[in-house]
Amino acid sequence: MALFGMALHAEYNVKASAPVFARKVSIVRQLGLTDLCLFTEASYTRHISMTDMATPFQDSPATFEHFPTGALVSPPSHLVSNHVQKD
Amino acid sequence: MIRTHSISKVFNAGRPNEFTALHEISLDIQLGEITVLKGPSGSGKTTLLGLLGCMARPTTGRIFLKEREITSLPERFLTGIRRSTFGFIFQQFNLIRGISALENVMVPAYPNGEKFAQLRKRAMDTMEVFNLVNRADAKIEWLSGGEAQRVAIARALINNPTVIIADEPTAHLDTKLSHEFMSIMQELNANGTTIILASHDPIVYDSSQINRIIEMRDGRVVHEESRS
Amino acid sequence: MSKRIERQRQIIDFTLAALMRRKGKNGALLLVYALVIFVLASVLFCTHALRREADLVLKSAPEIVLQRILTGRNQPVPIAWADKIRHINGVISVQPRLWGYQYDTVYRANYTLMVPLENPPVLGTIDIGSGISKIQGASSGDNIAFTGHDGQPRLFVIRNILDNESQLLTNDLILLSEKDYRDFSGIPTDQATDFVLRVRNPKEYSTIAEKLVRMFPDSRPIIRTEIQRTYDAVFNWRSGLLIVIFSAAALAFIIFAWDKATGLSAEERKEMGILKAVGWETSDILLMKFWEGTAISLTAFLVGVILAYFHIFFASAALFAPVLKGWSTLYPTFRLTPFLDFGQLATLFFLTVVPYTISTIIPSWRAATIDPDAVMR
Repeated sequence: MALFGMALHAEYNVKASAPVFARKVSIVRQLGLTDLCLFTEASYTRHISMTDMATPFQDSPATFEHFPTGALVSPPSHLVSNHVQKD
Repeated sequence: MIRTHSISKVFNAGRPNEFTALHEISLDIQLGEITVLKGPSGSGKTTLLGLLGCMARPTTGRIFLKEREITSLPERFLTGIRRSTFGFIFQQFNLIRGISALENVMVPAYPNGEKFAQLRKRAMDTMEVFNLVNRADAKIEWLSGGEAQRVAIARALINNPTVIIADEPTAHLDTKLSHEFMSIMQELNANGTTIILASHDPIVYDSSQINRIIEMRDGRVVHEESRS
Repeated sequence: MSKRIERQRQIIDFTLAALMRRKGKNGALLLVYALVIFVLASVLFCTHALRREADLVLKSAPEIVLQRILTGRNQPVPIAWADKIRHINGVISVQPRLWGYQYDTVYRANYTLMVPLENPPVLGTIDIGSGISKIQGASSGDNIAFTGHDGQPRLFVIRNILDNESQLLTNDLILLSEKDYRDFSGIPTDQATDFVLRVRNPKEYSTIAEKLVRMFPDSRPIIRTEIQRTYDAVFNWRSGLLIVIFSAAALAFIIFAWDKATGLSAEERKEMGILKAVGWETSDILLMKFWEGTAISLTAFLVGVILAYFHIFFASAALFAPVLKGWSTLYPTFRLTPFLDFGQLATLFFLTVVPYTISTIIPSWRAATIDPDAVMR
């Protein structure tokens, strides 16, 4: 019963947020954004899709993750697959 | 009639602590009578009661209930027969703690799927017979010895059994309650219920209404006596 | 048929009564179980909602972004490339994009400076994100100074504060005009940070990307679908932190399911013996145990999931905040839209409720099948 109520609430909220998303979509287009602003500690956590392979390792390839949110963020797949050719 | 044909019960067969509780017992127990198994502890009374009441199977031998052999029945059928034919009163009462007296009385009937309201009414009626109505909702732990005894009896009756089996029922009761117990048994017997008791209490086996005494020792029947 | 239902009902009632009897022990069990579910569900809700957000919002991200790589690192692109790119078949337009980072030593925050593709602020003015306005206490009309590449401060007037509702996109942004940014950052006039391409046919993205690479071997094109897919990898189960959380939860769960599975107390065993003696079949007893396991599982699951829902979508993932902030001084409030993935919830359900119920039934199997005459002794 409660789960059902939860599902309904979620449905309602998602639908109600449609105009907000429309605005966000147009912001992304107008500004030319490529990433969500989630983790501002480092460049490769801030612009995850734009980062290069070297930046997270700039101190040394063997160091542990420098920034805490780096542990949350995996390298994007396009970086990994292109890495072989480019970096 | 309940007939046993040369039944034996061996525990821990093949191991160093092998123990034969019953040696080839052949008995006839008449329905509608009060039968008492008499003997000291260790004589096999409890084991025999368990076998008669379809609680366990004998190691060898066969048991017939009203001409029908029950020893080779699968467990499900055996349980069904036990539930509908027998009512048990244990030495320690073995009531379930933490639930009320009424619930204890109803528990044996749950698997039957009877309508709850109907079952509850029957249980209350039975409890009324034993003057337990005002203790119906009391937790078992709060009942006096006598009340617990009567709840145990009421529970044994919930499925309208043909046979009541009681193991050392007066072991934890004083004289007054023991006599009370015997008079309840006699009343039930007068209404057609077969009673099988195991006891080494004189109040039980010296009682005037007993039809038959079977004396046991070391897993064997040593003496049978019929009274009228 | 109704007999079967009635039987189930009565056994369920009996089971619930039995659970209430040992309130303390069962209460503790429920609490731990619910906690494990709470943590797992919270993680699932949070990551899913963020991924959906990225998916929906980034669908208007640039179709192709072209970067340049030198010495394995991102470098500015020469604007001269645009002429050749424009002539690639299928490319509608090429626009140089200017953006970069700025570290504010006073507030110890990282900002992203950007020249927007459309409607940039006029010279001397900037738009700032709500996060910056918050930490600096700045509002429209205020003056704000940033130190440029040459060490000289530059004063800007704040034109607009970007809306709070878009903070998951704009929290740390500073939007300014191209001239201002070039002056500020020192990036030469013949260079830009990267290019943004508009393409006629979305199916052509990969083809055009390949052409770009052939044209400029030191370039890296990133297409829109890759940008969107980036956020599938965030909070990926392989991320170190999530592995730790899931392992801890799994361990906690295994420990107390194991505790259940390895034994019944003497009292429970006696009770089962009594039930057998008064006429319950093995199947009745196992049914009781099944309902016992299920009752606790279901309740814990419900409580955990609902609390997780409140935690993430009403409390903005408050308990995860320290993790999500890291060392950032500028961070958004994670006001997420409640996207639910019922597949994930179902998986969580089957991975927790089913094993737990099984672990309640298994130890009872033996006890339920012994001959009841043991109870007579």
